[in-house]
Amino acid sequence: MSRDGVTAGSAAYAIEPRPEPRPRPKLVSDGVLGMLAFIFTEVMFFAGLVSAHAIVRSQAAGAMWPPYGQPRLPVQETAVNTAALLVSGIVLVLTWLAFRREPSSARIPLLLSILLGAIFVWFQGLEWVALLAEGLTIRSSSYGGFFYLIVGAHALHAVAALVALAWAWLRLDRKRLTATQLATVSAFWYFVVLVWPVLYVKVYL
Amino acid sequence: MSRIWIPVLALALSAALPELAHACPVCFDASDENRRAFVATTALLSLLPLGMVAGAGLWLRRRVRRTEAGGRSEPSRD
Repeated sequence: MSRDGVTAGSAAYAIEPRPEPRPRPKLVSDGVLGMLAFIFTEVMFFAGLVSAHAIVRSQAAGAMWPPYGQPRLPVQETAVNTAALLVSGIVLVLTWLAFRREPSSARIPLLLSILLGAIFVWFQGLEWVALLAEGLTIRSSSYGGFFYLIVGAHALHAVAALVALAWAWLRLDRKRLTATQLATVSAFWYFVVLVWPVLYVKVYL
Repeated sequence: MSRIWIPVLALALSAALPELAHACPVCFDASDENRRAFVATTALLSLLPLGMVAGAGLWLRRRVRRTEAGGRSEPSRD
């Protein structure tokens, strides 16, 4: 057997050299793929929390929910806050469109999106302070425990995503932000925005 | 002497002494609300990961088709 062919008996068969594979274009950037994998795990994390909350709440079906003596959650105020968060997500979509046209034109919408997100986190914090003053703590009941666990976990994600968006804005300001970087941090913020209405309906209503 | 009567007798005795086993909270809970919550959350936690994987697969397939059709897979400013 030679290097370029196979000898079988007296006949020699030449092996055609294999053509070089064409380089395939990347379908998803590494950053977005990694963020999507992270978001998948976080979706399951929140699904687990919501499920546990639903079970505990159903066990109190005969009794009152919220339990007697526990303060009621501010449904209307949080609805307004939810609207601010949703608008922030919409503005981030506009940011992406503006970035694709001309990167520098995305500065204002990105800043607006960050501000709306910060308003959401700020008013959630104020709500926590008021509820703590009314006696709802993480140890006061399973109602309080689930409220602070679920809403607190979301707030933690919101703060982390806001830090990522602020980092993106600084890079954009220095003209160093790439489309991949913006898509990656945007995916994180979209997750924070889209998971909140589910949590609001399950926890507040 | 055949000992076949021993398992037959054991089977007859066990059949004569039925007892409900309330081990599964999904199937045997006194509260309808609680049972519904268990079924709903079981369905949610089972279907959600499958749905996400299927969604990601469909999204990737759409991107492949778009790329093959000559569309761009990623924005050019990278």
